[in-house]
Amino acid sequence: MTALEISGLSKDYVDAYTGEEITAIGDVSFTVDRGEFVSILGPSGCGKTTVLNIIAGFVKQTGGTVKVGGRVVDGPGPDRGVVFQSHALFPWKTVLGNAAFGLRMKRVPPKQREATAREYLELVGLAGFEHKYPHELSGGMQQRLGVARVLANEPDVMLMDEPFASIDAQTRRKLQEDLTRVFELRRPTVFFVTHDIDEAVFLSDRVIVLSTRPSIVREIVTVDLPRPRTWRETTQLPEFRHLSNRITELLTGGAEDVHPAIDPD
Amino acid sequence: MAVTTRASARPKRTVAMPRRILVNPVVRTLGPFVPVVLLWWLLAELDVFPGAFFVGPDTVVGEFAELMRKGVLPGYLSDSLTRLMYGVGFGLLIGLPLGFAIAMSFWARRLTWPLLLFFQAIADIAWLPIVIVWFGFSLTAVTFVIVYTIVFPLVLGIVAGVEQVPRELIRAARSLGAGRLRVFLEVIVPGALPSLASGIRTGLGYGWRALVAAEIIVGTSGVGFMMFDARRVGDVAEVFLGMIVLGVLWYATDALVLAPFERATVERWGLVRQAEAGK
Repeated sequence: MTALEISGLSKDYVDAYTGEEITAIGDVSFTVDRGEFVSILGPSGCGKTTVLNIIAGFVKQTGGTVKVGGRVVDGPGPDRGVVFQSHALFPWKTVLGNAAFGLRMKRVPPKQREATAREYLELVGLAGFEHKYPHELSGGMQQRLGVARVLANEPDVMLMDEPFASIDAQTRRKLQEDLTRVFELRRPTVFFVTHDIDEAVFLSDRVIVLSTRPSIVREIVTVDLPRPRTWRETTQLPEFRHLSNRITELLTGGAEDVHPAIDPD
Repeated sequence: MAVTTRASARPKRTVAMPRRILVNPVVRTLGPFVPVVLLWWLLAELDVFPGAFFVGPDTVVGEFAELMRKGVLPGYLSDSLTRLMYGVGFGLLIGLPLGFAIAMSFWARRLTWPLLLFFQAIADIAWLPIVIVWFGFSLTAVTFVIVYTIVFPLVLGIVAGVEQVPRELIRAARSLGAGRLRVFLEVIVPGALPSLASGIRTGLGYGWRALVAAEIIVGTSGVGFMMFDARRVGDVAEVFLGMIVLGVLWYATDALVLAPFERATVERWGLVRQAEAGK
């Protein structure tokens, strides 16, 4: 069952300073199956976040189509929940209010939406924090809430835009493990943008590797590591190192660009 | 384990006596006025200035008691406050929708911005001559001036506030299923609130000053009128009293209306840094 189908996606834009036309995305096609975790990786400036923004409906593509559950989508919608790098929580709503926001927009009755929101808060480890405000939570907890807010809305696909990039390294590991646990438990469909190769391999079922601009899909790498995954056990598997090296090669080799590193920010 | 031991072993910090006094709200509010009043009293007692120009606190307190007994001060005060309420009421009624209308539409902003800046530059009191021609020495004239002074800071505050709402918050709401109206009510309005609150604060402050100025010029009653009328007959104590009343009223407005509103909203949401003084 295909949850998300991207075909022939392209994006041109005019640079605001130089006035020249730039093709950010050349031709990108891929699919994400229902209950699958797919990451997208690429060199700096290859437009992976633009791909996510187009899927989310925040940015209009120049060409190609985005289908969710077989329907062509246009503009943002609750079938595609987004977890942002900046968390983007509503500061004026409590933790519970944030988690229940999508259900309230769907006009789910109060009792039922509170129960659902509480269930997902517990799932991400935020039970007991329902009546706090986001600014009272740590960065890691804020992003847990970001995930709960989207999952409680039960979207067809959860889009995650470098969700752990602004979080310190130790907390990030823990969040990645917890995201994997939640994924293994609930099997939502996830499309995950990252610049961290290990993160992509650890979390994903498949990793889409993009080329430099104008980007095309260079290769889609299948990650056949056993689940449940933990950092300690998974990184010890020879297969993990192998996949991670292979993706590093794909990102560095063949690019005319001398930059071996991927997106540093 | 090690962590708990270390934490409990750390000696508890005791709050020093002077600091405990400083955090007491009554002391914090009235404390700074003590040296000012003392200096004032001293200047009056030492007869630094002639009595016809400068009176001491005791004389002003006597004046206060006198005017309260005669009912002059309560009457003038209620006149002034009624005018202010009318002005603020109409100011909010006009300023809030106008502000959001301008802030939400790119073209409205483009078209009205030069006008806003132009009319903001004409000082409130500069309107009085023509306003008196139009409305005479009436409540309408005073209200007009107050409304005028409140609307501009309010509109500018709302426009700035709406622009400050992070784009990601609007995107988040949209991708959680919020339509345009919901985005406006649930994201843009609360997001603009810190700036809106400071717009209201500035507007009220200007409005209050405009009221006193208007009362001095067109007034037949009110605190501003009282002060100017007292000057005419050379009653310095009454002028002093008027000034103190203005200060106390503004302080009360801030402490009883504005500050609690901000504490319940923007401060609680962590949108502005809370004041250091142990709030």
